[in-house]
Amino acid sequence: MLDYMIYLLTFAVGSILGLLYSYKQHGEPFVAVTKFNIPFAIVSILGWVLGFCSGNMILSAIGFLLAGFVMGERPGYGRKETAVGLIIAIIVYLLLNWHVM
Amino acid sequence: MNLMADILINVIIAFLAGSLLLGLHRKVMARVQKRPGPPIVQQLIHSLKFFFKETAFPKTVSKVFYIGIVFILALIWVVGVIVGPVAHDSLLILFGVYAVYKIVEHNSGSSSGSPYGKLSCVRAVLSAATELPLFAAIVFVYLVTGTMNIGEIIAYQSVHGPLVFSIPLAALMFFMLIITKSPYSPFAITKDKVLISGFETEHFGFLRGFMLFSEAIAWYVLLWVFLTIFFGPLNAVGYLIGMIVISVITGFINATTPLLSPNHSVMTQITIGAICFAGTVLMIFTGVVA
Repeated sequence: MLDYMIYLLTFAVGSILGLLYSYKQHGEPFVAVTKFNIPFAIVSILGWVLGFCSGNMILSAIGFLLAGFVMGERPGYGRKETAVGLIIAIIVYLLLNWHVM
Repeated sequence: MNLMADILINVIIAFLAGSLLLGLHRKVMARVQKRPGPPIVQQLIHSLKFFFKETAFPKTVSKVFYIGIVFILALIWVVGVIVGPVAHDSLLILFGVYAVYKIVEHNSGSSSGSPYGKLSCVRAVLSAATELPLFAAIVFVYLVTGTMNIGEIIAYQSVHGPLVFSIPLAALMFFMLIITKSPYSPFAITKDKVLISGFETEHFGFLRGFMLFSEAIAWYVLLWVFLTIFFGPLNAVGYLIGMIVISVITGFINATTPLLSPNHSVMTQITIGAICFAGTVLMIFTGVVA
């Protein structure tokens, strides 16, 4: 159970850091952002894939930190990037575990 | 692993997961109502923030009780974590935990001396109606599996399949309890906005922090118990998906349903409970449930 606690902790810390960072970057009132942020999408994909598929506690923890960072951005930001990251991570997870299922 | 370490880790997991799930619940409600909503991590940040806020004590409070009750509230849900995820012990103890929680809700309101708290305390007695379907659900689980022990119920399901397929109406009764316990529920008569924050109205600072801590753990424990006793042996991913799905469903229900008045709330709960009870009895006696 220690690993799950670490994942949750790193995800929460990543979310808080993402929230602080995005408020520092975007101080304006709420806007539903339509453009796709490629660097954040790469961070999100890397985070979710590492988190779900690495099989290593430290790498997964780093992954959830990165995933939390993008997902935790202020409302209106990071939604599409998170969705893309999650979908790719789920596909990679299914491909890696196909033989088990 | 050392038992104390196991308990500590599970309590931290319950707090973090419960807070994030409640954050997700708020987010879903907001999106259904076409609001951007707070970030998912906001509930967790709120809970932590209250521990560092100034704590004020109203003149009307019964001080020992007023302070003690929040620690009891936190303690009973920590007991819930110990009985459930840690020890896989008896469902009856969890029923006891929920019954004590209702008493704590009641006493928390009455100890504040505030009219809002007192009215919420009276409503806490009425809302004990949710315990009847809970108890009935537990009885049916016992009738089918022949045990109250969570570990043995898991073992039973690994052989016979998830209980939700054999006693779906009992699962529905338990799900109604989850809806009742969820924030902004149509049955949340103790926290009606007419009563400001109900029994929590007069608790500030770290006392409120303890209450939010307990709420997060309570949400996690209820979801864990529901998934464990009705959806068979699950791995961590199964629990994660199940908890997220239930939080989203309850968020959707709560966003689209107005709060019922106390009498309607109690009657609705009892009616749904009675229908599910009769239905499950019928299923057992007609041999639909093996």
